[in-house]
Amino acid sequence: MAATESNGLVCFTNCLLPQEDGSLVEKDLWIDQWQGVILDAQKTFFIRRERPSTIIDLGGNILSPGFIDIQINGGFGFDFSVYEGDDQTYRDGLKLVAERIVETGVTALVPTIITQEKSLYPKLLDLLRPWSLPNAAHLLGWHAEGPFLEMSKRGAHSPPLIISALEGFKTFESIYGSENLAEAEEWFASVESDHDNVGVRIITAAPEVEGVMEAIKETSKRGICFSIGHSMATTDVATAAVQNGARCITHLFNAMPQLHHRDPSIIGLLGASPYMYSTFLPFPSAIVSALKATIPSLSSTKEPLPLSIGHISEAFDDIETPPQTPILLAEQAHKKHRLPKGKSIASTAAITPVPLESRQSTQGEPKSSASTMPFDRPFYELIVDGIHIHPNSVRLAYSAHPDGCILITDAMKILDPHLKDGIHDWRDGRRFYKEGDKLYVEGTTTLAGSVITLDKCVRNFVRYTGCSIGEAIKCATYNPARCLGIENKKGTLRAGADADLVVLDHQGSVISTWVKGKIVWKRI
Amino acid sequence: MRLIIRDDPLTVGDYVANYIAKRINDFAPTADKPFVLGLPTGSSPIPTYKALIQKVKEGSLSFKHVVTFNMDEYVGLPRDHSESYHTFMFREFFSHTDISPSHVNLLDGNAEDLVAECNTYEARIKEYGGIELFLGGIGEDGHIAFNEPGSSLASRTRIKTLAYDTILANARFFNNNVAAVPRMALTVGVATVLEAREVVVVVTGQRKSLALSKAIEDGVNHLWTLSALQLHPWALIVVDEDATAELHVKTVKYFKSIERVQDEVELRQAELKARGRTEHQGQVGSME
Repeated sequence: MAATESNGLVCFTNCLLPQEDGSLVEKDLWIDQWQGVILDAQKTFFIRRERPSTIIDLGGNILSPGFIDIQINGGFGFDFSVYEGDDQTYRDGLKLVAERIVETGVTALVPTIITQEKSLYPKLLDLLRPWSLPNAAHLLGWHAEGPFLEMSKRGAHSPPLIISALEGFKTFESIYGSENLAEAEEWFASVESDHDNVGVRIITAAPEVEGVMEAIKETSKRGICFSIGHSMATTDVATAAVQNGARCITHLFNAMPQLHHRDPSIIGLLGASPYMYSTFLPFPSAIVSALKATIPSLSSTKEPLPLSIGHISEAFDDIETPPQTPILLAEQAHKKHRLPKGKSIASTAAITPVPLESRQSTQGEPKSSASTMPFDRPFYELIVDGIHIHPNSVRLAYSAHPDGCILITDAMKILDPHLKDGIHDWRDGRRFYKEGDKLYVEGTTTLAGSVITLDKCVRNFVRYTGCSIGEAIKCATYNPARCLGIENKKGTLRAGADADLVVLDHQGSVISTWVKGKIVWKRI
Repeated sequence: MRLIIRDDPLTVGDYVANYIAKRINDFAPTADKPFVLGLPTGSSPIPTYKALIQKVKEGSLSFKHVVTFNMDEYVGLPRDHSESYHTFMFREFFSHTDISPSHVNLLDGNAEDLVAECNTYEARIKEYGGIELFLGGIGEDGHIAFNEPGSSLASRTRIKTLAYDTILANARFFNNNVAAVPRMALTVGVATVLEAREVVVVVTGQRKSLALSKAIEDGVNHLWTLSALQLHPWALIVVDEDATAELHVKTVKYFKSIERVQDEVELRQAELKARGRTEHQGQVGSME
């Protein structure tokens, strides 16, 4: 297109650019193909005194930051959770996924490994250091889902491998390998020379599992994203986890208690007030102390409550809440799993709004009491395949907290937009049954992750929530980047960010995908 | 002076863009002999810029061998501030054309030595052999560039304090915060504009009508700096109907008749030229 010699600069024109507020703006985008970055066009023109030698007319389509999938178990026949004793084979598998996934608009992914044999973790996490291959999506690091999970919410995770963290963060280190949990800088430094300066680590764990709550602070301090998942956490435990540093919720609605209005649990974090945190106990204080005296030890969370205190008032006639959401189990969980000091839920303090000023003044002060701490709601992942979550629930969550919404595929190894329906091998002799976008453990009705692609999630999301395509794109780009603290480099069109791009039509179908300024896939 | 009246800002933009495109194409600029164009900012020239961009996209016009000089820039406003004239020019015009960044000249309102910056600017214009065509707009108080009422009509590029009227008018671009509007600007002088071989001024909207009347129906007056254009041998003012509100009917009718005569003269000359019957180079018209 350029008549003169190429200077490596490209101007995309006649296109809509998704903004960080979810809007779409008709504007040009300048990139530097040699550096692989997005340019500040005006600075390039006035200071560098150059203008792009190549102009690409996108015909009115959308030029979005490339999608980021922060939870994906594999694809195209390769399972990130399977190591067959050979590093090269594993790396080849990673390469295969990174090369093929770009056709779904994904330019960066966080390979996710489900609960493993203890001895495998150090090896796998070491293999999953950030890796950028030519003509492929960036492998950003790892997402360890397990092994510190709640047994009753294990989903497809193998029961004998699920453990607790008796010694808190020390147990984390002994399982994942202390070098893999090193401080961010140290961890980066050990990455091979072809790294991308962007690397992320995510741990999904259940905060109510013994020792996990204590490990969250240190995990976050080291630049690792803690995500609440496969958990029975009550509202109080979930809230405490966020106050300790948990940043995300793993596949919201799945593998967690359902929303109960008096103990909204993990899902309820989406509605948490920014101004206050206070214990909610809908009983007169006399009854609370009586209850505490009479049932000091409920042995198992799986047993129904042996308690009936009659109808206190008409509005309270469902005092016997479903077994997974009783207020009283909160008591249990807290007694059993030692909350950090100052977070006792025995307090019956009334809900006290905290004025904004004091909220700001206490920012970052660890000593302030729980009731005056500012509360930022966590991000949350949604699998928008129309199976894992009812569309109504998708819209409900998004309406509650749009800025926290992250679309994920949670896709299994058989993810492949070209794969036929039927039975496919999984691992350990077990098999999947795939039917459209549905994926079950063979012979059961247990959902075993998904086979949906992220671009389809974006399109579904528009239909389910009624949001604009720009807002849906934000949930697959800017929001996940912000959750992981990489929004200067990924998931954005800011100057200086990597030129990882996807061209979409107005319905959200992928037309072409670009990584580091170079086209890596094009619809034929 | 010629006054061209069109229905609305859009048709004014089309007229001016056609005019400039014809001038550039007739000039047939090359790398050694570039066309030197003076450019304004503000809302009035936007339709013109849009129409010029359209021509570049269609391929009927190129800015490859055009050198531009902008009229003015605020002092102390960061270059990439959303209201800086650097930002305006890049957003509204430069980024959409094929102009070379090295051919673009704007005053640097953040220069350490502002006086030297202004003097260098004048010198650079001279190096290029002066400005071929200066496109401009005016303020409600009749200022051309930032030559506020009372500016010397012999002024050159310099630091200028903005009139209170201008600061108030510009506050809308700074969240209606008068305190945020820069107090000073660097601007080309009235004489700098008058030295251009041709001046084209766009005036649209009823709010500019008094200034237009003062500039063309009254005498030369430094309180309405546009009026200095009366001394220019080849000046063109293009306005919309709204901007004529304060003009005498007589004035409007007279200028409308001139437009017809000018068209006829140009046509006649073009025919003669085609038949090799005239030696006349450059512009012809009824208004020298």
